[in-house]
Amino acid sequence: MDTLLAIGVVSALAAALAAALTVAERFIADYGACTITVNDDRRFEVAGGGTLLESLSRNNLFIPSACGGRGTCAYCKVKVLEGAGPVLPTEEPYLDAAEREDGMRLSCQVKVRRDLRIRIPDELFNVRPFAASCVRIRELTRDIREFRLDLNDPAEIEYVPGQYIQLQAPAYDGNEEVYRAYSISSDPAEPDAIELVIRLVPGGICTTWCFEHLHEKDPVSFNGPYGEFRLSETDAPMILVAGGSGMAPIKCILHHMQNRGCRRDAIYFFGANRVDELFYLDRMRQFEKDLAHFTFVPVVARPEAGASWNGETGLVTEALERSLTDASKHEGYLCGSPGLIAAAREVLTKLGMPEEKIYYDAFA
Amino acid sequence: MKESPERQKLEAVLRSSGMVAGGFLGRDRRPVAEIIEADAAELGRLGRTASDLAARMRDITKQARGGLETPVRVGANLEARMIEAKGSLPCPWPHAGRYPKGMVIATRPDTGASVRWSELSLHLIEAHGFFQGRGSRYRLEPRDAVAVLF
Repeated sequence: MDTLLAIGVVSALAAALAAALTVAERFIADYGACTITVNDDRRFEVAGGGTLLESLSRNNLFIPSACGGRGTCAYCKVKVLEGAGPVLPTEEPYLDAAEREDGMRLSCQVKVRRDLRIRIPDELFNVRPFAASCVRIRELTRDIREFRLDLNDPAEIEYVPGQYIQLQAPAYDGNEEVYRAYSISSDPAEPDAIELVIRLVPGGICTTWCFEHLHEKDPVSFNGPYGEFRLSETDAPMILVAGGSGMAPIKCILHHMQNRGCRRDAIYFFGANRVDELFYLDRMRQFEKDLAHFTFVPVVARPEAGASWNGETGLVTEALERSLTDASKHEGYLCGSPGLIAAAREVLTKLGMPEEKIYYDAFA
Repeated sequence: MKESPERQKLEAVLRSSGMVAGGFLGRDRRPVAEIIEADAAELGRLGRTASDLAARMRDITKQARGGLETPVRVGANLEARMIEAKGSLPCPWPHAGRYPKGMVIATRPDTGASVRWSELSLHLIEAHGFFQGRGSRYRLEPRDAVAVLF
Protein backbone atom coordinates (compact mmCIF):
# COMPACT_ATOMS: atom_id res chain seq x y z
CA MET A 1 0.00 0.00 0.00
CA ASP A 2 2.82 2.37 0.96
CA THR A 3 4.58 1.59 -2.31
CA LEU A 4 1.46 2.39 -4.31
CA LEU A 5 1.00 5.62 -2.37
CA ALA A 6 4.63 6.60 -3.02
CA ILE A 7 4.25 5.88 -6.74
CA GLY A 8 1.08 7.93 -6.82
CA VAL A 9 2.72 10.87 -5.07
CA VAL A 10 5.77 10.78 -7.35
CA SER A 11 3.54 10.54 -10.45
CA ALA A 12 1.43 13.47 -9.27
CA LEU A 13 4.54 15.55 -8.58
CA ALA A 14 5.98 14.69 -11.99
CA ALA A 15 2.70 15.60 -13.69
CA ALA A 16 2.52 18.88 -11.77
CA LEU A 17 6.11 19.69 -12.68
CA ALA A 18 5.48 18.94 -16.36
CA ALA A 19 2.39 21.16 -16.31
CA ALA A 20 4.34 23.94 -14.58
CA LEU A 21 7.10 23.70 -17.19
CA THR A 22 4.54 23.89 -20.00
CA VAL A 23 2.91 26.95 -18.46
CA ALA A 24 6.31 28.53 -17.78
CA GLU A 25 7.40 27.85 -21.36
CA ARG A 26 4.25 29.47 -22.66
CA PHE A 27 4.01 32.50 -20.43
CA ILE A 28 7.38 33.12 -18.82
CA ALA A 29 10.10 31.90 -21.16
CA ASP A 30 11.12 34.67 -23.49
CA TYR A 31 12.93 33.57 -26.60
CA GLY A 32 12.71 37.05 -28.06
CA ALA A 33 12.31 37.61 -31.76
CA CYS A 34 13.50 34.82 -34.00
CA THR A 35 13.97 34.81 -37.76
CA ILE A 36 12.65 32.03 -39.94
CA THR A 37 14.36 31.95 -43.32
CA VAL A 38 12.38 30.10 -45.95
CA ASN A 39 14.04 28.76 -49.10
CA ASP A 40 16.96 31.14 -48.47
CA ASP A 41 15.07 34.16 -49.84
CA ARG A 42 12.13 34.93 -47.55
CA ARG A 43 12.55 35.95 -43.96
CA PHE A 44 9.91 36.23 -41.25
CA GLU A 45 10.49 37.75 -37.85
CA VAL A 46 8.38 35.87 -35.30
CA ALA A 47 8.01 35.81 -31.53
CA GLY A 48 9.96 32.81 -30.23
CA GLY A 49 8.25 30.07 -28.24
CA GLY A 50 5.53 29.04 -30.66
CA THR A 51 5.55 26.04 -32.97
CA LEU A 52 6.99 26.35 -36.43
CA LEU A 53 3.59 25.50 -37.94
CA GLU A 54 1.73 28.26 -36.10
CA SER A 55 4.56 30.77 -36.56
CA LEU A 56 4.44 30.23 -40.31
CA SER A 57 0.65 30.39 -40.51
CA ARG A 58 0.68 33.71 -38.60
CA ASN A 59 2.79 34.95 -41.51
CA ASN A 60 0.33 33.58 -44.07
CA LEU A 61 2.47 30.61 -44.95
CA PHE A 62 0.31 27.52 -44.64
CA ILE A 63 1.77 24.05 -44.38
CA PRO A 64 -0.78 21.26 -45.03
CA SER A 65 -1.98 19.74 -41.75
CA ALA A 66 -4.92 17.39 -41.30
CA CYS A 67 -4.98 17.21 -37.49
CA GLY A 68 -4.72 20.91 -36.68
CA GLY A 69 -1.23 20.66 -35.20
CA ARG A 70 -1.76 17.85 -32.68
CA GLY A 71 1.07 15.75 -34.05
CA THR A 72 -1.05 12.87 -35.24
CA CYS A 73 -1.41 13.28 -39.01
CA ALA A 74 2.24 13.85 -40.00
CA TYR A 75 1.25 15.95 -43.02
CA CYS A 76 3.07 19.08 -41.86
CA LYS A 77 6.59 17.87 -42.53
CA VAL A 78 9.10 20.50 -43.61
CA LYS A 79 12.81 20.34 -44.19
CA VAL A 80 14.67 22.19 -41.43
CA LEU A 81 18.21 23.08 -42.42
CA GLU A 82 19.21 24.81 -39.19
CA GLY A 83 18.01 25.66 -35.71
CA ALA A 84 15.44 22.99 -34.79
CA GLY A 85 17.48 20.95 -32.34
CA PRO A 86 17.16 17.18 -32.03
CA VAL A 87 14.13 15.20 -33.21
CA LEU A 88 11.53 15.08 -30.43
CA PRO A 89 9.97 11.88 -29.09
CA THR A 90 6.61 13.12 -30.41
CA GLU A 91 8.05 13.23 -33.93
CA GLU A 92 9.89 9.92 -33.89
CA PRO A 93 6.94 7.71 -34.89
CA TYR A 94 6.34 9.76 -38.01
CA LEU A 95 9.84 10.11 -39.45
CA ASP A 96 11.68 7.29 -41.15
CA ALA A 97 15.47 7.07 -41.30
CA ALA A 98 15.73 8.73 -44.72
CA GLU A 99 13.54 11.65 -43.62
CA ARG A 100 15.59 12.19 -40.46
CA GLU A 101 18.76 12.08 -42.53
CA ASP A 102 17.21 14.67 -44.85
CA GLY A 103 16.29 17.03 -42.00
CA MET A 104 12.52 16.52 -42.24
CA ARG A 105 10.58 17.55 -39.14
CA LEU A 106 6.97 17.85 -38.03
CA SER A 107 6.43 21.60 -38.08
CA CYS A 108 3.66 21.32 -35.48
CA GLN A 109 6.13 19.86 -32.97
CA VAL A 110 9.22 21.97 -33.64
CA LYS A 111 9.38 24.99 -31.32
CA VAL A 112 10.87 28.24 -32.57
CA ARG A 113 13.48 29.02 -29.93
CA ARG A 114 16.21 30.42 -32.17
CA ASP A 115 16.65 31.41 -35.79
CA LEU A 116 15.57 28.71 -38.20
CA ARG A 117 16.28 27.95 -41.84
CA ILE A 118 13.72 25.81 -43.62
CA ARG A 119 12.91 24.63 -47.14
CA ILE A 120 9.40 24.12 -48.49
CA PRO A 121 7.86 23.59 -51.94
CA ASP A 122 7.38 26.96 -53.69
CA GLU A 123 3.68 26.22 -54.32
CA LEU A 124 2.99 26.67 -50.60
CA PHE A 125 3.60 30.41 -50.93
CA ASN A 126 0.24 30.63 -52.75
CA VAL A 127 -1.77 28.85 -50.06
CA ARG A 128 -4.35 31.02 -48.25
CA PRO A 129 -7.12 30.44 -45.70
CA PHE A 130 -10.61 31.01 -47.11
CA ALA A 131 -13.94 31.75 -45.47
CA ALA A 132 -16.82 30.54 -47.63
CA SER A 133 -20.50 29.65 -47.56
CA CYS A 134 -21.92 26.34 -48.66
CA VAL A 135 -24.55 27.43 -51.17
CA ARG A 136 -25.53 24.15 -52.80
CA ILE A 137 -25.39 20.46 -51.96
CA ARG A 138 -26.30 18.10 -54.77
CA GLU A 139 -26.61 14.32 -54.55
CA LEU A 140 -24.72 12.74 -57.44
CA THR A 141 -24.97 9.09 -56.42
CA ARG A 142 -25.95 7.12 -53.32
CA ASP A 143 -22.69 8.10 -51.58
CA ILE A 144 -21.24 10.96 -53.63
CA ARG A 145 -22.32 14.60 -53.32
CA GLU A 146 -21.30 17.86 -54.93
CA PHE A 147 -20.74 20.80 -52.58
CA ARG A 148 -20.62 24.33 -53.98
CA LEU A 149 -18.83 26.90 -51.81
CA ASP A 150 -19.13 30.62 -52.51
CA LEU A 151 -16.03 32.48 -51.35
CA ASN A 152 -16.40 35.34 -48.88
CA ASP A 153 -12.91 36.22 -47.70
CA PRO A 154 -10.89 36.38 -49.86
CA ALA A 155 -13.57 36.69 -52.50
CA GLU A 156 -11.63 34.85 -55.18
CA ILE A 157 -9.21 31.94 -55.45
CA GLU A 158 -6.46 31.42 -57.98
CA TYR A 159 -5.51 27.82 -58.62
CA VAL A 160 -4.18 25.49 -61.25
CA PRO A 161 -6.87 23.09 -62.52
CA GLY A 162 -6.14 19.72 -60.91
CA GLN A 163 -5.20 21.15 -57.51
CA TYR A 164 -6.94 20.45 -54.19
CA ILE A 165 -7.91 22.30 -51.03
CA GLN A 166 -7.96 21.26 -47.35
CA LEU A 167 -11.48 21.51 -45.99
CA GLN A 168 -11.94 22.11 -42.26
CA ALA A 169 -14.43 19.92 -40.43
CA PRO A 170 -15.05 21.66 -37.09
CA ALA A 171 -15.27 19.68 -33.86
CA TYR A 172 -18.59 17.80 -33.60
CA ASP A 173 -20.02 14.83 -31.69
CA GLY A 174 -16.82 14.39 -29.69
CA ASN A 175 -14.67 14.41 -32.82
CA GLU A 176 -11.85 16.92 -32.96
CA GLU A 177 -11.40 19.53 -35.69
CA VAL A 178 -9.70 18.03 -38.74
CA TYR A 179 -8.70 19.08 -42.26
CA ARG A 180 -9.13 16.79 -45.25
CA ALA A 181 -8.03 17.15 -48.88
CA TYR A 182 -10.56 17.41 -51.73
CA SER A 183 -9.87 18.23 -55.36
CA ILE A 184 -11.58 21.22 -56.92
CA SER A 185 -14.04 20.09 -59.59
CA SER A 186 -15.51 23.40 -60.74
CA ASP A 187 -14.86 25.65 -63.71
CA PRO A 188 -11.74 27.75 -62.99
CA ALA A 189 -13.39 30.57 -64.95
CA GLU A 190 -15.49 31.12 -61.82
CA PRO A 191 -12.88 32.20 -59.25
CA ASP A 192 -15.50 33.31 -56.72
CA ALA A 193 -16.65 29.76 -55.96
CA ILE A 194 -15.38 26.21 -55.88
CA GLU A 195 -17.14 22.88 -56.14
CA LEU A 196 -16.03 19.68 -54.45
CA VAL A 197 -17.09 16.11 -55.21
CA ILE A 198 -17.03 14.18 -51.96
CA ARG A 199 -17.67 10.51 -51.38
CA LEU A 200 -18.93 9.41 -47.99
CA VAL A 201 -16.32 7.34 -46.16
CA PRO A 202 -18.09 5.27 -43.49
CA GLY A 203 -16.67 6.45 -40.18
CA GLY A 204 -14.74 9.27 -41.84
CA ILE A 205 -14.65 12.37 -39.64
CA CYS A 206 -14.77 14.96 -42.40
CA THR A 207 -17.05 13.20 -44.90
CA THR A 208 -19.54 12.35 -42.13
CA TRP A 209 -19.56 16.03 -41.18
CA CYS A 210 -20.12 17.01 -44.83
CA PHE A 211 -22.98 14.53 -45.30
CA GLU A 212 -24.72 14.78 -41.93
CA HIS A 213 -23.89 18.16 -40.43
CA LEU A 214 -23.14 20.59 -43.24
CA HIS A 215 -26.17 22.35 -44.72
CA GLU A 216 -26.73 24.93 -47.40
CA LYS A 217 -25.99 28.49 -46.16
CA ASP A 218 -23.58 27.18 -43.49
CA PRO A 219 -20.16 28.86 -43.19
CA VAL A 220 -17.18 26.76 -44.30
CA SER A 221 -13.43 27.21 -43.91
CA PHE A 222 -10.68 25.77 -46.06
CA ASN A 223 -7.16 26.53 -47.15
CA GLY A 224 -5.31 25.94 -50.38
CA PRO A 225 -4.64 25.41 -53.19
CA TYR A 226 -2.23 22.47 -53.04
CA GLY A 227 -0.92 19.82 -55.39
CA GLU A 228 1.03 19.30 -58.55
CA PHE A 229 -1.52 17.38 -60.64
CA ARG A 230 -2.16 19.52 -63.71
CA LEU A 231 -2.43 19.63 -67.49
CA SER A 232 0.89 19.68 -69.32
CA GLU A 233 1.66 22.39 -71.84
CA THR A 234 2.16 19.98 -74.73
CA ASP A 235 -0.15 19.01 -77.61
CA ALA A 236 0.17 15.30 -76.92
CA PRO A 237 -3.05 13.28 -77.10
CA MET A 238 -4.43 12.51 -73.67
CA ILE A 239 -5.81 9.43 -71.97
CA LEU A 240 -7.72 10.27 -68.78
CA VAL A 241 -8.76 7.59 -66.32
CA ALA A 242 -10.76 8.08 -63.11
CA GLY A 243 -13.23 6.41 -60.79
CA GLY A 244 -15.61 7.68 -58.10
CA SER A 245 -14.72 11.09 -56.70
CA GLY A 246 -11.57 10.96 -58.85
CA MET A 247 -13.89 12.63 -61.36
CA ALA A 248 -13.31 15.99 -59.60
CA PRO A 249 -9.88 17.15 -60.84
CA ILE A 250 -10.48 15.66 -64.30
CA LYS A 251 -13.72 17.66 -64.65
CA CYS A 252 -11.87 20.81 -63.58
CA ILE A 253 -9.17 20.15 -66.20
CA LEU A 254 -11.85 19.63 -68.88
CA HIS A 255 -13.40 23.01 -68.01
CA HIS A 256 -9.93 24.52 -68.29
CA MET A 257 -9.38 22.90 -71.71
CA GLN A 258 -12.71 24.26 -72.91
CA ASN A 259 -11.92 27.76 -71.62
CA ARG A 260 -8.64 27.74 -73.52
CA GLY A 261 -10.16 26.37 -76.72
CA CYS A 262 -7.87 23.37 -76.38
CA ARG A 263 -7.91 21.07 -79.44
CA ARG A 264 -5.92 18.18 -77.99
CA ASP A 265 -7.19 14.66 -78.59
CA ALA A 266 -8.53 13.36 -75.29
CA ILE A 267 -10.32 10.17 -74.32
CA TYR A 268 -11.67 9.85 -70.78
CA PHE A 269 -12.41 6.45 -69.22
CA PHE A 270 -14.56 6.71 -66.11
CA GLY A 271 -15.25 3.56 -64.12
CA ALA A 272 -18.19 2.70 -61.87
CA ASN A 273 -19.34 -0.49 -60.26
CA ARG A 274 -23.01 -0.09 -61.24
CA VAL A 275 -24.98 2.07 -63.63
CA ASP A 276 -26.45 4.08 -60.76
CA GLU A 277 -22.91 4.98 -59.62
CA LEU A 278 -22.26 6.97 -62.79
CA PHE A 279 -22.68 10.74 -62.56
CA TYR A 280 -22.07 13.94 -64.54
CA LEU A 281 -23.03 12.05 -67.71
CA ASP A 282 -24.83 15.06 -69.20
CA ARG A 283 -21.92 17.34 -68.35
CA MET A 284 -19.47 14.95 -70.02
CA ARG A 285 -21.68 14.70 -73.14
CA GLN A 286 -21.64 18.50 -73.24
CA PHE A 287 -17.83 18.47 -73.10
CA GLU A 288 -17.92 16.09 -76.08
CA LYS A 289 -19.80 18.79 -77.99
CA ASP A 290 -17.74 21.72 -76.72
CA LEU A 291 -14.25 20.24 -76.98
CA ALA A 292 -13.06 19.55 -80.50
CA HIS A 293 -11.56 16.11 -79.95
CA PHE A 294 -12.88 14.77 -76.67
CA THR A 295 -14.50 11.37 -76.10
CA PHE A 296 -16.07 10.19 -72.85
CA VAL A 297 -16.17 6.46 -72.16
CA PRO A 298 -18.15 5.48 -69.06
CA VAL A 299 -17.44 1.90 -68.00
CA VAL A 300 -19.69 -0.12 -65.69
CA ALA A 301 -18.20 -3.17 -64.01
CA ARG A 302 -21.44 -4.96 -63.24
CA PRO A 303 -24.61 -3.35 -64.65
CA GLU A 304 -27.38 -4.06 -62.18
CA ALA A 305 -30.38 -6.14 -63.19
CA GLY A 306 -32.99 -4.01 -64.88
CA ALA A 307 -30.65 -1.15 -65.67
CA SER A 308 -30.54 0.02 -69.25
CA TRP A 309 -26.88 -0.08 -70.24
CA ASN A 310 -25.30 -0.66 -73.61
CA GLY A 311 -21.93 0.96 -72.96
CA GLU A 312 -18.61 -0.53 -71.97
CA THR A 313 -18.60 -3.15 -69.23
CA GLY A 314 -15.94 -4.69 -67.00
CA LEU A 315 -13.10 -2.93 -65.22
CA VAL A 316 -12.16 0.53 -66.47
CA THR A 317 -8.63 -0.73 -67.18
CA GLU A 318 -10.03 -3.57 -69.28
CA ALA A 319 -11.99 -1.07 -71.38
CA LEU A 320 -8.83 1.02 -71.71
CA GLU A 321 -6.90 -2.00 -72.95
CA ARG A 322 -9.66 -2.95 -75.39
CA SER A 323 -9.85 0.55 -76.87
CA LEU A 324 -6.19 1.31 -77.54
CA THR A 325 -3.31 -0.53 -79.11
CA ASP A 326 -0.58 2.10 -78.85
CA ALA A 327 -0.23 4.82 -76.20
CA SER A 328 3.41 5.65 -76.85
CA LYS A 329 2.62 9.19 -78.05
CA HIS A 330 -0.04 9.90 -75.42
CA GLU A 331 0.06 11.42 -71.96
CA GLY A 332 -1.87 9.74 -69.14
CA TYR A 333 -3.89 11.58 -66.49
CA LEU A 334 -5.13 9.35 -63.69
CA CYS A 335 -7.15 10.07 -60.58
CA GLY A 336 -8.61 7.58 -58.17
CA SER A 337 -7.73 4.91 -55.67
CA PRO A 338 -4.17 3.60 -55.37
CA GLY A 339 -5.45 0.33 -56.86
CA LEU A 340 -6.88 2.09 -59.90
CA ILE A 341 -3.73 4.17 -60.39
CA ALA A 342 -1.49 1.09 -60.18
CA ALA A 343 -3.66 -0.92 -62.59
CA ALA A 344 -3.98 1.95 -65.08
CA ARG A 345 -0.24 2.62 -64.98
CA GLU A 346 0.42 -1.02 -65.73
CA VAL A 347 -1.90 -0.98 -68.75
CA LEU A 348 -0.57 2.32 -70.07
CA THR A 349 3.07 1.27 -69.84
CA LYS A 350 2.15 -2.01 -71.54
CA LEU A 351 0.65 0.10 -74.33
CA GLY A 352 3.96 1.91 -74.69
CA MET A 353 3.40 5.04 -72.61
CA PRO A 354 6.62 6.21 -70.92
CA GLU A 355 6.32 6.37 -67.11
CA GLU A 356 7.27 10.04 -67.09
CA LYS A 357 4.24 10.83 -69.27
CA ILE A 358 1.83 9.39 -66.71
CA TYR A 359 0.52 12.07 -64.35
CA TYR A 360 -1.64 11.03 -61.45
CA ASP A 361 -3.39 12.26 -58.37
CA ALA A 362 -3.29 9.25 -56.08
CA PHE A 363 -5.76 9.29 -53.21
CA ALA A 364 -3.10 8.17 -50.77
CA MET B 1 1.15 -1.75 -12.39
CA LYS B 2 2.08 1.80 -13.30
CA GLU B 3 2.09 2.46 -17.02
CA SER B 4 5.12 3.98 -18.74
CA PRO B 5 4.82 7.49 -20.21
CA GLU B 6 5.00 5.91 -23.70
CA ARG B 7 2.07 3.62 -22.90
CA GLN B 8 0.12 6.54 -21.43
CA LYS B 9 0.71 8.56 -24.60
CA LEU B 10 -0.38 5.62 -26.72
CA GLU B 11 -3.59 5.26 -24.68
CA ALA B 12 -4.26 8.97 -25.10
CA VAL B 13 -3.74 8.82 -28.87
CA LEU B 14 -5.97 5.74 -29.14
CA ARG B 15 -8.74 7.41 -27.13
CA SER B 16 -8.51 10.66 -29.08
CA SER B 17 -10.78 11.15 -32.08
CA GLY B 18 -8.11 13.16 -33.87
CA MET B 19 -7.24 10.35 -36.27
CA VAL B 20 -10.46 8.38 -36.67
CA ALA B 21 -14.03 9.28 -35.74
CA GLY B 22 -14.72 8.18 -32.17
CA GLY B 23 -11.14 7.07 -31.59
CA PHE B 24 -9.69 3.57 -31.71
CA LEU B 25 -11.07 2.53 -28.33
CA GLY B 26 -14.72 3.56 -28.71
CA ARG B 27 -16.55 3.13 -25.41
CA ASP B 28 -14.12 0.47 -24.19
CA ARG B 29 -12.64 1.56 -20.85
CA ARG B 30 -10.18 -1.33 -20.58
CA PRO B 31 -6.47 -0.59 -20.93
CA VAL B 32 -5.05 -1.38 -24.37
CA ALA B 33 -2.94 -4.24 -23.05
CA GLU B 34 -6.04 -5.88 -21.59
CA ILE B 35 -7.97 -5.53 -24.86
CA ILE B 36 -5.10 -7.12 -26.78
CA GLU B 37 -4.78 -9.92 -24.25
CA ALA B 38 -8.50 -10.69 -24.25
CA ASP B 39 -8.69 -10.81 -28.05
CA ALA B 40 -5.61 -13.04 -28.25
CA ALA B 41 -7.24 -15.40 -25.78
CA GLU B 42 -10.48 -15.40 -27.77
CA LEU B 43 -8.57 -16.23 -30.94
CA GLY B 44 -6.75 -18.99 -29.10
CA ARG B 45 -10.07 -20.55 -28.10
CA LEU B 46 -11.04 -20.44 -31.78
CA GLY B 47 -7.80 -22.18 -32.74
CA ARG B 48 -6.32 -19.14 -34.47
CA THR B 49 -3.70 -16.45 -33.90
CA ALA B 50 -3.61 -12.79 -34.85
CA SER B 51 -0.84 -13.67 -37.32
CA ASP B 52 -2.78 -16.23 -39.29
CA LEU B 53 -5.93 -14.10 -39.26
CA ALA B 54 -3.88 -11.14 -40.52
CA ALA B 55 -2.28 -13.29 -43.23
CA ARG B 56 -5.76 -14.29 -44.45
CA MET B 57 -6.94 -10.67 -44.36
CA ARG B 58 -3.87 -9.52 -46.28
CA ASP B 59 -4.45 -12.09 -48.99
CA ILE B 60 -8.12 -11.06 -49.30
CA THR B 61 -7.12 -7.38 -49.33
CA LYS B 62 -4.72 -8.02 -52.20
CA GLN B 63 -7.36 -9.83 -54.23
CA ALA B 64 -10.02 -7.22 -53.45
CA ARG B 65 -7.74 -4.39 -54.54
CA GLY B 66 -7.50 -6.00 -57.98
CA GLY B 67 -11.26 -5.52 -58.37
CA LEU B 68 -10.84 -1.73 -58.51
CA GLU B 69 -13.75 -1.21 -56.10
CA THR B 70 -15.90 -3.93 -57.68
CA PRO B 71 -16.63 -7.16 -55.78
CA VAL B 72 -14.28 -10.08 -56.45
CA ARG B 73 -14.74 -13.74 -55.66
CA VAL B 74 -12.21 -15.07 -53.15
CA GLY B 75 -12.28 -18.85 -53.21
CA ALA B 76 -15.62 -20.66 -53.18
CA ASN B 77 -17.33 -19.01 -50.22
CA LEU B 78 -16.29 -15.40 -50.06
CA GLU B 79 -16.81 -12.16 -51.93
CA ALA B 80 -14.69 -9.11 -51.17
CA ARG B 81 -14.83 -5.49 -52.22
CA MET B 82 -12.30 -2.80 -51.47
CA ILE B 83 -13.49 0.79 -51.31
CA GLU B 84 -10.66 3.29 -51.27
CA ALA B 85 -10.71 6.89 -50.11
CA LYS B 86 -8.39 9.85 -50.46
CA GLY B 87 -5.69 10.15 -47.82
CA SER B 88 -3.80 7.91 -45.45
CA LEU B 89 -3.46 7.44 -41.72
CA PRO B 90 -0.38 6.88 -39.58
CA CYS B 91 -0.25 4.04 -37.08
CA PRO B 92 -0.87 5.35 -33.55
CA TRP B 93 1.97 3.16 -32.27
CA PRO B 94 5.37 4.86 -32.20
CA HIS B 95 6.84 3.84 -35.54
CA ALA B 96 6.91 5.26 -39.06
CA GLY B 97 4.34 4.16 -41.62
CA ARG B 98 1.15 5.38 -43.24
CA TYR B 99 -1.79 3.28 -44.38
CA PRO B 100 -4.20 4.23 -47.20
CA LYS B 101 -7.75 5.03 -46.18
CA GLY B 102 -10.64 2.93 -47.35
CA MET B 103 -11.87 -0.49 -46.40
CA VAL B 104 -12.34 -4.07 -47.45
CA ILE B 105 -15.78 -5.61 -47.00
CA ALA B 106 -15.72 -9.41 -47.03
CA THR B 107 -19.07 -11.18 -47.32
CA ARG B 108 -20.11 -14.80 -47.31
CA PRO B 109 -22.84 -14.99 -49.97
CA ASP B 110 -24.22 -18.20 -48.39
CA THR B 111 -24.98 -16.61 -45.01
CA GLY B 112 -24.84 -12.89 -45.77
CA ALA B 113 -22.42 -12.44 -42.85
CA SER B 114 -19.73 -9.85 -43.45
CA VAL B 115 -16.77 -8.19 -41.79
CA ARG B 116 -14.84 -5.11 -42.82
CA TRP B 117 -11.44 -3.64 -42.15
CA SER B 118 -9.17 -0.82 -43.25
CA GLU B 119 -5.50 -1.12 -44.18
CA LEU B 120 -4.68 0.46 -40.83
CA SER B 121 -6.92 -2.02 -38.98
CA LEU B 122 -5.11 -4.85 -40.74
CA HIS B 123 -1.76 -3.42 -39.73
CA LEU B 124 -2.94 -2.98 -36.12
CA ILE B 125 -3.89 -6.67 -35.97
CA GLU B 126 -0.82 -7.87 -37.86
CA ALA B 127 1.81 -5.83 -36.03
CA HIS B 128 0.22 -5.12 -32.66
CA GLY B 129 -2.48 -7.77 -32.15
CA PHE B 130 -4.93 -4.89 -31.63
CA PHE B 131 -8.51 -5.39 -32.83
CA GLN B 132 -9.59 -1.95 -31.43
CA GLY B 133 -11.93 -1.24 -28.56
CA ARG B 134 -15.57 -2.20 -28.21
CA GLY B 135 -17.84 0.38 -29.77
CA SER B 136 -15.17 1.77 -32.06
CA ARG B 137 -16.19 1.94 -35.71
CA TYR B 138 -13.48 -0.38 -36.93
CA ARG B 139 -13.46 -2.92 -34.13
CA LEU B 140 -13.19 -6.39 -35.66
CA GLU B 141 -14.61 -9.08 -33.40
CA PRO B 142 -12.20 -12.02 -33.59
CA ARG B 143 -15.10 -14.49 -33.50
CA ASP B 144 -16.86 -12.78 -36.44
CA ALA B 145 -13.63 -12.53 -38.42
CA VAL B 146 -12.84 -16.21 -38.00
CA ALA B 147 -16.42 -17.22 -38.85
CA VAL B 148 -16.47 -15.21 -42.08
CA LEU B 149 -12.90 -15.51 -43.31
CA PHE B 150 -12.07 -19.19 -42.70
